[in-house]
Amino acid sequence: MRGGHSPFRPRPRRSWRAPGELLNFALIFVCIVFLVLSRIGHTALTEVSDSFLDLTAPALQATSAPVIMARQGVARVKSYAGTFSEIDRLKEENAQLKQWEWRAKLAERKVVQLRALLNAADEPALHFATGNVIADGRGPFLQSALINLGRDQGVRIGYAAINGDGLIGRTVEAGDQFARILLINDRSSRVPVLAGQAGVRGIAAGDNSAELTLEFIPDGAVLHEGDEVFTSGSDGVLPRGLRVGLVTGSPGAYKVRTHADLGALDAVSVLFFDTPELVRTDPPAVPLDRALSASPADPKVPDTVPTASAEQPNVTGAIKQAETSAAPPAASVAQTRQ
Amino acid sequence: MNAGVPAFSVFVAVLATAVPWGLPADATFAPPLIVMAMIFCWRALPGTVFPSYLALLLGLLTDILSGGPLGFWAMMALIAANAGARAPSPAEAQDRNRLWLFWAGVAAAIGVLAWLLGSLYVVRLIDAWPIAFGACVSILLFPVVLRGVVWIKRGRLRAGIYRGFT
Repeated sequence: MRGGHSPFRPRPRRSWRAPGELLNFALIFVCIVFLVLSRIGHTALTEVSDSFLDLTAPALQATSAPVIMARQGVARVKSYAGTFSEIDRLKEENAQLKQWEWRAKLAERKVVQLRALLNAADEPALHFATGNVIADGRGPFLQSALINLGRDQGVRIGYAAINGDGLIGRTVEAGDQFARILLINDRSSRVPVLAGQAGVRGIAAGDNSAELTLEFIPDGAVLHEGDEVFTSGSDGVLPRGLRVGLVTGSPGAYKVRTHADLGALDAVSVLFFDTPELVRTDPPAVPLDRALSASPADPKVPDTVPTASAEQPNVTGAIKQAETSAAPPAASVAQTRQ
Repeated sequence: MNAGVPAFSVFVAVLATAVPWGLPADATFAPPLIVMAMIFCWRALPGTVFPSYLALLLGLLTDILSGGPLGFWAMMALIAANAGARAPSPAEAQDRNRLWLFWAGVAAAIGVLAWLLGSLYVVRLIDAWPIAFGACVSILLFPVVLRGVVWIKRGRLRAGIYRGFT
């Protein structure tokens, strides 16, 4: 093989070998059986693949880490290239935001007064855990991402997943150390949303492309390009008010351009938003006294929920508690929530 | 050469397909098809051992990591492996071009089959563009993949790792 000897030696042609061919047919038959079992959603297959993903999650994390670092490095270099224009833009934006801050404080005070007058119940606090994407599961069948948070960190099937820009999807699989997020642009994803200042109801449906289709909009509803789209919460699964994207397109063919870049996900937060619907489909893995979502006044809620980061220091996902108005995930929560 | 080195190299490639590269949505089919090209090369090169069941297992791993139905990429890997076993032996540069051409046909066939199987699985026609794009990318990158596989076969990777340890 070495010393200049070519590796391309002529290979003797093989004739028909019955055992080998039979083996091939048997293996293809096995594939077909697997496909059929996957189609009918056999639980044994799901359990086996979940267990396998739990085993390979550390390897995936190790493999993904340098790539994510390189991606961040490239993004940083790109940002350095336009530093001066970015500073100018940020100064201008900061001036505008200062005006908005003053208006928001006024509005907040007014809301507090009105809520007190109405004797309105407090909205539940949203707890969340933050982890990293360790594998990209985008393909012809599924637009998904694997993250390094699992049932050990309190994640359950059906939880909403967001990043700093907005909603990215919901969990559809949860192993001990990983969870799979079905991205909102997946063909099977349907998110009930409110669009525009009038709060037009609709469904943001994925079709495996970068933009979502806005469906089931009431007749005569008026939307404008650039209108904000956020979750309505009417499915009883996703919290209300998560930013989804902006309206694009024309009447009759409205689209939603997502705020989050679904092709380049990095840090992802999972919102522990328990609803009766979720509890019915995926019963709690953690005791009720460690309930993941409850009123801020609920004495049973611990300060940090659950304490996975303390128990497992190697897990990068930091568990935090956030009020709905808190900064990191609330960057994804629309201001219209109030 | 035993099956260990080819299997390990394809295993690493399969893991690489799952890495979040930040590829656009249209390019998601390309990395698994490059893995298929790798399997094809290992089977086509004389003096290498790459059993069909290994192709099946590595295809199943691709399925698990991609979150798609189990058996889809496994079947494509089996087809690539069997096509590689029947491919012209690349003895000279001209034969390598024939092998490239052969892979172009196999990639096209895999693409069509993947589209049909995918459409049958979800009971509606899936978008053919990402599959066609992936097949084209795998055909364009085939010489690079072949070069890499030959490089590994010549023991350069092992020698490099050995040098790294000493």
